Amino acid sequence: MIGTVAGLILRAIVVLSGTAIITFALLWNAPGDPAQAIAMARFDALLTEDVIDQVREEVGLNTSFWSAFVDWIAPLLVLDFGYSSVTGRPVGPDLWVAITYTFPLAVMALAIGLAISLPLAIIATKNPGGMLDRLAVATASMGTAIPAFWLGLLLILLFAVQLNWLPAMGARTPVHSILPAMTLGFGIAASLTRIIRSGILEARDQPFLPAIRRRGVPVRAIGRDHIAPHAAVPVVTVVGLELAFLLEGLVVVEVIFGRPGLGTFLTSAIVARDFPHVQAVVVLVALVFVTVNLIIDLIYKRIDPRIGEHDA
Amino acid sequence: MLRLDQVSAKRGNVVALEDISLSLSPGNTLAVVGESGAGKSTLIATILGLLRPSKGTITWNGAEVSTCRPSLVMQEPRSAFNPAHPLLRSVLEPIVGQRATVPTERIERLCTGLELPQQLLNRRPSEVSIGQAQRVGILRALIATPPLVLFDEPLSALDAVTQKHTARLIADLQREEGFAALIVTHDLGYAVAHADEIAVLKSGRIEEVATPESFAVAPKSDYCKTLRDAAIALGALEAVG
Amino acid sequence: MRSVTYLAVAIFLLAIVGPFFAPYDPAAINIPKRLSPPSSEFFLGTDALGRDILSRLLHGARYSLGLAFLISFIALVIGTVVGLLAPLGGKIADWLIMRTTDSFLAFPELVAAVVIAGLMGAGMWSLIFALSVTGWMRYARVARGIGLSLQSRGYVIQAKLAGLSPLAIARWHYLPSLVPSLTVVWTGMFARAIIGISTLSFLGFGVQPPTPEWGAMLLDARIHMRSTPLQMIWPGLAVVVSVLAINLAGDALRDSVAERSEHQ
Repeated sequence: MIGTVAGLILRAIVVLSGTAIITFALLWNAPGDPAQAIAMARFDALLTEDVIDQVREEVGLNTSFWSAFVDWIAPLLVLDFGYSSVTGRPVGPDLWVAITYTFPLAVMALAIGLAISLPLAIIATKNPGGMLDRLAVATASMGTAIPAFWLGLLLILLFAVQLNWLPAMGARTPVHSILPAMTLGFGIAASLTRIIRSGILEARDQPFLPAIRRRGVPVRAIGRDHIAPHAAVPVVTVVGLELAFLLEGLVVVEVIFGRPGLGTFLTSAIVARDFPHVQAVVVLVALVFVTVNLIIDLIYKRIDPRIGEHDA
Repeated sequence: MLRLDQVSAKRGNVVALEDISLSLSPGNTLAVVGESGAGKSTLIATILGLLRPSKGTITWNGAEVSTCRPSLVMQEPRSAFNPAHPLLRSVLEPIVGQRATVPTERIERLCTGLELPQQLLNRRPSEVSIGQAQRVGILRALIATPPLVLFDEPLSALDAVTQKHTARLIADLQREEGFAALIVTHDLGYAVAHADEIAVLKSGRIEEVATPESFAVAPKSDYCKTLRDAAIALGALEAVG
Repeated sequence: MRSVTYLAVAIFLLAIVGPFFAPYDPAAINIPKRLSPPSSEFFLGTDALGRDILSRLLHGARYSLGLAFLISFIALVIGTVVGLLAPLGGKIADWLIMRTTDSFLAFPELVAAVVIAGLMGAGMWSLIFALSVTGWMRYARVARGIGLSLQSRGYVIQAKLAGLSPLAIARWHYLPSLVPSLTVVWTGMFARAIIGISTLSFLGFGVQPPTPEWGAMLLDARIHMRSTPLQMIWPGLAVVVSVLAINLAGDALRDSVAERSEHQ
C-alpha cells in the first residue's frame, strides 16, 4: 500500500517535470522575437536595437535551452513567479487577485452543476428507459453539445439584454457572478447527469443486490449502503474530467463576462506576450490538475485496491 | 545443439525457474513433463527469448538461440492465427522477406505429411476444426526448416483420437526433417512413447532427467514415482515389470 | 439511430457542397443593407458589414467542419503511432511514452490549445497545430490499451518469432483491431475539435476575419447583441447541431461496436 502511494506520488512528480519541459520548450520556440514584443509593450514607440537587446538580457532570452530551463524552473520550484515583463510588477500578487475572482466562481459552478445533475439523475433512473429518463438523457446530450461561449452569450442575451434582470459585465458584486456561474454550471450538469445516471444504473446491476433484497433490507438502506458506493467510483473519475472542463470553461466565460479572473489574466497575457504571466498560469493549472488527479488516484486505491494495478 | 546452463527466470518477482540445466541434440526429442504451474510455459518463453533469464545462459551451438530461428507450436491452435487472415498467410509469415516466392513444393510435401488438404489453407482459423488448426500450426512451425521446434502442450486441446494421430504425424515428420524437438507436456504416456529423454519439472526445478525406459521402470525420486503411478492408473502409461 | 448517422453525413456533405448553395459572396460588403433582419432577400439577415449570414454560414462549414476533420485526423495519426510504440517498444519505451502522454494530459486540452495558438500568433496554421498537438492523448491511451491486450495473443507471439519487424506487426496484427475503437474515439474528438476551433476563433486566437468561421462570426455578432440578437443565434446553432449530430452518431457507432465485440 505504502509502495503504491509512493509510486503514485513519484509518477505525479515525473508528470509535472514533463509538463514543465513541454511548457518551457513552447515558450522557447514561440515565434517572433519575444524581446521585441516585450519592448514594444513596455516602451511603446521608442524602439532601438539597444533597447531590445537590453530587454533580451534582462528577461534571460539569450542563453542555451537547458541552462535557460534551469534558470527558469529554479524560482518556480519555490513558487516565485518573477516579474511581469510588461508592467514590471511582481506576478504573485496579481495572480492571487485573479485567483480570488476565479475560485469562488468555480465553486459556485460546481455547486450549480451538482444541484441540477444529482436530482435529475436520480429521477431519471427511477424508471430507466421511461419518459423522464429519455428526457434527461436528451437534455444532457444537448447540454454537452453547446459550447460554453455561446451559452454564455445566450444567457446574457436573455437575462441581461432582454429581461434586464442581471448584470452581465464585470465582477463588482456577487450578483455579477450569477450568469457566469450558471453558464459553467449548466455545462457541468450536462456531463455529470450522464455519468451519475450510468453510475447508478451500473451499481443497480450488481449481482449481489437481489440476494440483499431477498433478505428484506429496506430499499432506502440498499440505496445508501450498496448502490451509492458503487456509483461513487465513476463520480470520482468524473471530478477529474470536470476539473478540465471547468478550467477550459473558466477561460472562455471570464473573457465573455469581463471578469478579471485567471482566464482573463491568461488571455491578456498571451496577447501582450507577457511570458512570466503566461507561465505562472500554466504552472498553477498544471499543479492543481496533477494534484487533484493524484488525490483521485489515492481515493481509488481506498475504494478498490485492485484499480490501476495493470495500468503501468 | 540446445544447451541450458543453470538458468533461472522470474515472472514478476516470483522465481519461476531455478537452476535449470538441460541439453538437446539435433534430431532428438526432449520431453519436459510437469503439472500446471511447474514452470513449463516459462521455460518455453525463456528458450525462445520472450523472457530474459535472470541467471544462466541458453545457447544453440554456442550462439544465442534466436540465431537458429526456433519455432513454436502452441497449445491453443486457433489463437495462434490472426482470426482475420486466411491460414496460408499466417503459414507464410516465417518466410516473408527471406524468399519472394511461395515455396509451393515444400507446402505440398508438408501438407501431405500432415494429411492436410491444401485448399484448407485458404480458410480462416474459425472455419477449420481444432485438430486441423493444430496441424496447420505444425506446418507453420516447420515451413522455414528450423533446426529447433518447441511444442507447448501440442495435444492437450485435441480429443483423444486426434491426439494419437497428431502425435504420430509429429514423430514421422521429425524423422524426415531431423529437427530437434522440445515438447512440453503433462501427458506422461505421450512423453514415454515419443521422447528420447524426459525431464521432470516440479516447482521450477528439474526433479529428474531420464530415458523413457528407466523412467517407466524405476523413477529415482518419490515425486516421479507418484507421477508414473498416476499415469498408469489413468491408463496413459502401461505398467512395466 | 440510423437517422442520426444520416444527419451527420448530411452535415458533412454540407461542408463540401454547401458553398455552392450560398446565394451571395460571403465576403461581399453591402453597407446600406447592414444588420438587416431575416427577409426573403437575406434568409438569415446580414451582419455589421451587410454580408449575407446564410452565405457566410455555408462557407463557414468548410472551415469549422473541414478543419475539425483535419485536426482530429492528424491527432488520430499521432495518437495511434504513439500508442502503438508503447506495446511494441518494450517496458522502458512504454513507461516513457505513457509519462509523456500523462504530461500532455496534465493540462486541460483547450487551455493548452489557447496558450499554444496564442503564443504562435493567431492564424489557421497555429490553430491546426495547437488543437492537434493537444488532441492525440485519448487515441494514444486507447491504442496502447488494445495493443497491450494483443501483445500476449498467440498470433502476435508467432509473428514476433517469425521475425516480422515491429512495423509489420503493427500494420498487420495491431492496426486492424484498433479501427473500431479508434473510430469511436474519433467521432468524439471530431465533435470536440468543432467546439475547440470555434472557441479559439471566438477568443481571437484562431481563424481570423474576414474568414467566415462560425466562432469568428460569433465574435463579430457579439457587439451587435442589442440591435440584432438573431445574428448571434445562427452560428452558435450551427455549431450545436453539428456537434450534437456527430456525438449521437458516435454513440450509435459505439453501441454497434460493443455489440459486435460481444458476439465474438
